[in-house]
Amino acid sequence: MAPATQFEIAQSPGDALTAVVFAPDDPSRLLVSSWDRKLYMYDVAQGKEEATLVKTFDHRAPVLAVCFGANKDVAFTGGVDRWVKKINLATGDQTVLSEHTAPVRCVVYSPEHSILISASWDCSLHIHHISDDSEPSTPLKIQLPGKAHALAASPSKVVVAMTARLVHIYDLPTIASVLALSATSNGHSDTDAKADNSGIPTPVVSDIQPWQQRESSLKFLTRAVSCMPNDAGYATSSIEGRVAVEWFEDTPESQARKYAFKCHRQVAPEEEGGGDIVYPVHALAFHPVYGTFASGGGDGTVALWDAEAKRRMRQYQGLPEGVHSLGFSGDGKYLAIGTCPNFEDGMEDYSGVGRTHVFIRELSETEAKGKGSK
Amino acid sequence: MPGKKRARIPDVQELLEKPWCYYCEREFEDLKMLISHQKAKHFKCSRCNKRLNTAGGLAVHMTQVHKETLEMVENTIQGREGLEVEIFGMEGVPAEILHEHQRAIVLEYNAKQMERRIATGNPPPGQGGHGSTKRLKTETPEELKARLAEFKAKNAAAKAAAANGGISAEANAGSPGQAYPYPQTAYPPTTMFPPTYPPSISPPPGAQSAFNLPARPTVSAPIPTVLPARPPYYYNASAPSATASAISDDIDEMIRMAEAGIKPPQQQSPAPEGSTEKKGKKEKHVRMVYGTSDASPEERISTLTAYNFVSVGA
Repeated sequence: MAPATQFEIAQSPGDALTAVVFAPDDPSRLLVSSWDRKLYMYDVAQGKEEATLVKTFDHRAPVLAVCFGANKDVAFTGGVDRWVKKINLATGDQTVLSEHTAPVRCVVYSPEHSILISASWDCSLHIHHISDDSEPSTPLKIQLPGKAHALAASPSKVVVAMTARLVHIYDLPTIASVLALSATSNGHSDTDAKADNSGIPTPVVSDIQPWQQRESSLKFLTRAVSCMPNDAGYATSSIEGRVAVEWFEDTPESQARKYAFKCHRQVAPEEEGGGDIVYPVHALAFHPVYGTFASGGGDGTVALWDAEAKRRMRQYQGLPEGVHSLGFSGDGKYLAIGTCPNFEDGMEDYSGVGRTHVFIRELSETEAKGKGSK
Repeated sequence: MPGKKRARIPDVQELLEKPWCYYCEREFEDLKMLISHQKAKHFKCSRCNKRLNTAGGLAVHMTQVHKETLEMVENTIQGREGLEVEIFGMEGVPAEILHEHQRAIVLEYNAKQMERRIATGNPPPGQGGHGSTKRLKTETPEELKARLAEFKAKNAAAKAAAANGGISAEANAGSPGQAYPYPQTAYPPTTMFPPTYPPSISPPPGAQSAFNLPARPTVSAPIPTVLPARPPYYYNASAPSATASAISDDIDEMIRMAEAGIKPPQQQSPAPEGSTEKKGKKEKHVRMVYGTSDASPEERISTLTAYNFVSVGA
């Protein structure tokens, strides 16, 4: 059995992190977005238990989201400065794709449809068609009923989790066709819009309706969403130590399969009145090969779950701070774990300086493999 | 002796001798099963699935093989995850926890015995045939209705004796204030009357006599004209007629319930109390690290000056 190891990246981000993500086509490339207004690019040496900082990309404001594009040299970021940016990781070129009216919380790229979706606290989604052209295309804007907090894409669906426990699921082929239609009809206004706004295209409002509108199965604010790689469903987590697993298919049988469970809780000491200390589940990530998923919580643990068998397979403890982001590499052999201090109720200030760490866990062959339902 | 074979009830000694797991309090048929359970559930290495014999063994394995430190035993109940106690099978269980477990078994056994005795009506072993425990008395809807009829008839008789004539059938519907069977006409406004009509508990002496009554009035049947308004549970000076109708509704409801076979809530039944108690125990008090449901931690952090963004152009 291959040895399973875990190591910490020596040059960790200068402040709390918001996302860790592996390039889907290269397990040696890792991006980390941080509150210190930088995007960090690391090279994870294969089989050597070390990672080196290759480059940083400066932003105007804290970076809240990052994802890879069609290959390992293209990345997209979103941040407090409301910009959605495309970054050429090889040359360092940055292009602003669109501007929201509030900070951009999440970005997600669908390689199947060459679509980038950004979600913001301005209660909207921006949909961008990504082509090889250097000129950014006119994005579509979809109005949402609430502030977006989490976003995830499966091969054919996009799940947006918002405030007030709202969950909207959009159909990617539908979005792609509307986008293609608007690209041909708006060829001229495209250039006009650019002239108005220092080269940033103004999005065109679209009335694309969600494929499904759901209410979260969890009673508290949704914290994270992750889609199953087999396009069957998704998992959501909340600030109240709970994870729910649901299926896309809108049949009574499929909906009856959904479930939720408690996790990332600790027993409070008796002298403090006992009971449970409940941590938010900040991060969820499905394994690209086995379809199992990892959850990371404010309690500083990562758990691997078998969604089919409804079992916990592994739990990794002893992480120094809350786990805020998780990312599997494209081949499923590595798990990046981003930890930084939790923001707790009643905090007046917050800093992740010196307390932010990124760990890379090399998974043994069977470590993340589920047993299947019994 | 001929007759049906009964499931043998294990005696308390047998229960006490069953091996059980210190970490999760699960009971096992024999020691072998317990040890294999502990190896699989509590002493299994999370990295390579090797099953060790003890928590200490697992800790050594983790440090030597995986260079990790074991923090706690997995899958335990609260407070048992510590590595301080060396457990193997039933060995090493701290004395106080052992006693606690045995006490719980004995208590449960006694409770079960009592339940059985109540269910079967059998006396406790070795106490002859005159035990004090009896089958719980439950009333059928017919009995209940009979009792109600008897009560009504009794009331009517009392009323007839006390009435000074002139009570017509309308007394039922209107101004019941004059029709109360009590000599006092002016009630203090807020006095709560003792429930002169007992809902279902403590049947009046000689409940059987109800069957000797000539006719039992039903809901649909016209109420005898001599029957005055029913005595209220309480008196509301501001709206006496409303109260009275509400009360008659109550009683009608009761009869309807009885006819439908729904048993009125019996206050003496211990079952609901027990279940609420259990619920209370289950409800654990929890403390959320982050409990704001309308803003995410990131939103809160982004408002702090250190992470703020002021657009230069805007």
